[in-house]
Amino acid sequence: MTPRSPVRGAGSALVRRLTLWIRHFSLKLQRYGAHGRFESAIGVTVGAVWLGITPLFLLCAVVDYFDGGPDAAALLLSGAAIAFAGVVALWLSEFPSALPLKRLFAALVCGVLAALVAATAAHFVTGVASTVDSSLAEGAATITGTNSSTVNPEQLSLGMLLFRAFGQWLASAGLIVVLVRIAPHLGVGGLDADGGVSTRSARRLAPKSGSTMVRLMLLYVSLTVGLLGAYSLAGMPFVDSVVHCLTTVSSGGFSSRSGSIGAFNSGAIEWVAIVGMVIAGTSLPLIFRAFRRGDLHRFARSVEFRTYIGLIVTAVFAALAWSGNWPKADDVRETIFAVTSAVSTTGFVVRDLNSISYGAEAVLLVLMVIGGMSASVAGGFTVMRLMVVSSYIGRELRRSIHPATVEKIHLGKSSIGEVALARIIGELFLSAAIILPLALVLSSDGLNFEAALSFAISALSNVGFAFGLNGPEEHLRTLGTLGHLAAASLMLVGRISVTPLLVTLGGLGEPMQRDIRRWRLTRHDKAVR
Amino acid sequence: MRRVSVTPVRVAGAGLLAAAIAMMLSAAVAVVDGGGGAKGLTVSALLTGLVGLALFFGSQVSPTADSALAFASVAWSWLAVSLAGSLPFVLTGVIPWGQFDNALFESISGFTCSGSTILSNFESVPQGVLFYRSLTQWLGGMGLVVLAVAVLPALGIGGLDLIASEAPGPTADRLTLRVRDTARQLWLLYGVMTGIVALVLLTIGMSIFDAVTHAFTTVSTGGFSPHAESIAYFDSFPIELVLMVGMLFSGASFSIHWHALRQGIGAYRRVSEVRWYLTLICCAFGMLVWVNLGELGWLQNLRESLFYAVSLGSNTGFGNSDFVLWMPAAHLVLLVLMLVGGMSGSTAGGMKVLRLQVVFKYAFRELMRARHPNSVIPIRLGRTTIEEQIAAKVVGFVMLYLGLIVVGGVILSGLGVDLVTAFSGSASALGNVGPALGEAGPTSNFLVFPRAGRIVLMAMMALGRLELFPAMLMLVASLRGLDQSRQRRDRERSQ
Repeated sequence: MTPRSPVRGAGSALVRRLTLWIRHFSLKLQRYGAHGRFESAIGVTVGAVWLGITPLFLLCAVVDYFDGGPDAAALLLSGAAIAFAGVVALWLSEFPSALPLKRLFAALVCGVLAALVAATAAHFVTGVASTVDSSLAEGAATITGTNSSTVNPEQLSLGMLLFRAFGQWLASAGLIVVLVRIAPHLGVGGLDADGGVSTRSARRLAPKSGSTMVRLMLLYVSLTVGLLGAYSLAGMPFVDSVVHCLTTVSSGGFSSRSGSIGAFNSGAIEWVAIVGMVIAGTSLPLIFRAFRRGDLHRFARSVEFRTYIGLIVTAVFAALAWSGNWPKADDVRETIFAVTSAVSTTGFVVRDLNSISYGAEAVLLVLMVIGGMSASVAGGFTVMRLMVVSSYIGRELRRSIHPATVEKIHLGKSSIGEVALARIIGELFLSAAIILPLALVLSSDGLNFEAALSFAISALSNVGFAFGLNGPEEHLRTLGTLGHLAAASLMLVGRISVTPLLVTLGGLGEPMQRDIRRWRLTRHDKAVR
Repeated sequence: MRRVSVTPVRVAGAGLLAAAIAMMLSAAVAVVDGGGGAKGLTVSALLTGLVGLALFFGSQVSPTADSALAFASVAWSWLAVSLAGSLPFVLTGVIPWGQFDNALFESISGFTCSGSTILSNFESVPQGVLFYRSLTQWLGGMGLVVLAVAVLPALGIGGLDLIASEAPGPTADRLTLRVRDTARQLWLLYGVMTGIVALVLLTIGMSIFDAVTHAFTTVSTGGFSPHAESIAYFDSFPIELVLMVGMLFSGASFSIHWHALRQGIGAYRRVSEVRWYLTLICCAFGMLVWVNLGELGWLQNLRESLFYAVSLGSNTGFGNSDFVLWMPAAHLVLLVLMLVGGMSGSTAGGMKVLRLQVVFKYAFRELMRARHPNSVIPIRLGRTTIEEQIAAKVVGFVMLYLGLIVVGGVILSGLGVDLVTAFSGSASALGNVGPALGEAGPTSNFLVFPRAGRIVLMAMMALGRLELFPAMLMLVASLRGLDQSRQRRDRERSQ
């Protein structure tokens, strides 16, 4: 008997899949009819996010109203719509009694997308961004903490300025919640991007994850307030201080000035920003432990922190050495600023990056890829993963000499399991696989080769500035619709991580894959017979 | 005569002897041509031959040979041959003595089949030297050590390790029971293919000199051309077609060609790497055509896109136009081709299609494992299951490869080269491609890099040809050898 053709097999599988979907949906409707609610973690998460973000709309609308800005009504309107949608979503859905891991991650991804919808709506309704695609890019930059924008911040109303800054701050706060409350649960099933390595330190802060989260949030708020005071003392106006303290501690990078921090032309402000950015790239659990017990030696004992600081120092020396001139005090400060901005993925700038040397550009690009420490609010590949990958390469080199060697990879005193190791490496390759096609889209949409590749890296690491154009923040403005969509995708992928996103998306096609596998097995059996 | 038991010295001697023969052949070409350079080439051949003879007959293979030593032997022999290979350039006056590093660059670029050049005025270079350049690529393509194993029974060293350490790719196939026969079969196939390409090129209108030199650099996927404009000099589609077939063939595994000769065309179909290799080139071609749609005319677009998809897909580096003028998106496609390269077991450079396959499957497996944490998913290539240890080695290699490109790019940028030229130059050198993007395009030369930058590129070309691990082992095994001899000496003293 001849086997069925794959087309016919796939076609029937599609029909079966559609039937299953219809059946599944009708079952849900029946259950809804019985209980009055859908059992959906996604619905609850989306509703909670929309309802949770409503006070921000309200606050910014009120501030804008008293400031006499034009966006108060639009913010109020969009906030009301988002709140209504949130209430409806929560009203219609209830948290399921049993939640498989894949659903939990789907809920998380949908939560991020819900935040994106809210931020996009705010930008579109207020007219800050004229098109849906640029609103989407602005929204993505806001919720992922990327300093990339199509608008001039000096033309924004106070309400929208605060909305964007608070948006970045809240997004990072949300990341802390995910890190403490959700990621460890996903780590049990192995769904987090690095097999739970980065969440391990956070889990040991307190016996309950709830109290750990409260402590980390308190630390986050304290750091924000501290930075607000520091910026004000350094001579920054109050509103600017509020905006910058929010976007520094969250490693977001949005500024109230078109020249970013450089617009203030103040060494003191730049030093405050440098300290803030270094803190933003540092592991929050590490800071908490060090300050709670007054044991600052913890920083020195942390191998990841030592590497992080070592990277900054090396990069500063390399950039200065390659600048071609004997550096002055201002040059040193500006170089330290650029390096910390890149490694903490904040994205602030103090001067036109076209004036720096090629060597410094390359160093900044590499730092963007690496990013901050694990369990920090910074983006990028993270220092911990870089160390793990370096150790892995070293181990394979040693294995090529002694093939029978059995060697575990250690980071400080703790060893990294093979599962976590494979997950980290997989994540690296998947990121590379994502970045290339999207960089291709960016380059086909008007960016030159250098600009496309550097902006793709920058967006994936949630930095913002890039090279190859007249200004460091011109890239998003130069792009068209396709480029905006690609940039927004890169920013989202960079914030959520590739593996969880693909796992969530991959689940959509899983029944189809199962059918195809079954058809192949049947064909193989028939061939054997 | 007392012989030193050092395997690397003996292997290096054999390599130098092969290089000396190549120089003598080139000297003969120079004599026939009458354009000069014969004296310089002869002196180089004599010097190299003498040193080679001294090293070869003054040493013997160590009784305790292991994989690390085999790898180190190959790496040291490449170093010796590259150094000796620069002599003809300075002794013929093509490159002044004061720029010996440039001669070394040209030599390393030749033996590693990179095809990057520092020559600018090709008209003033004697034909003997141009012939020698092409011959270095031909010798480097299949590997001098493989040649030595094939034709020098007196080498006294066998084992697949030696061939594996020089063969591009993670594994080396044993085609026959005896390793020496395997090496012979590979060289025979290589030689026959070169002859066929040369004959066809001759038939369609190339001069004998051009046909032979281009056949050498096509089958070795080297990419040197005796003309500054590379293949654009001929402006002939039939010539480009023949070269494309040659490049496509040489970018594929020679072991698979050997099996195909014995078992028929089905041998190609059974290997998943062949499918990936062809798919990659086809996809690149399609994307290049799409990107260049509004920029070039239809026929020109098809012709140039196809040529570059094959030329860079096989890491040869021939050029029929200046792709630097293309759209930026096309550059990205070309960069990916440069990174991946040809198939394992071919003469092409890059990180190899097989490794791309393994890495892709590895990443996909991790994705599946993230969804189904308790699943056990083997990495399969076609019907073959890849062992975890080999997969780990491949993954380690790829990460080291990408890391070295980044390190090279950063160093070159630090030396004052713009980002695009620096990083693409780094990728091109490590992948032994030849041309890069930016200022180092196919119609330019590598003098755009500063002197220190060219030294970095030389190191990267050598690392790329030796596939990183042997080069690393060169140092490790040598240090271990030194340590052992010191221990032996101490023991003798204490007795």
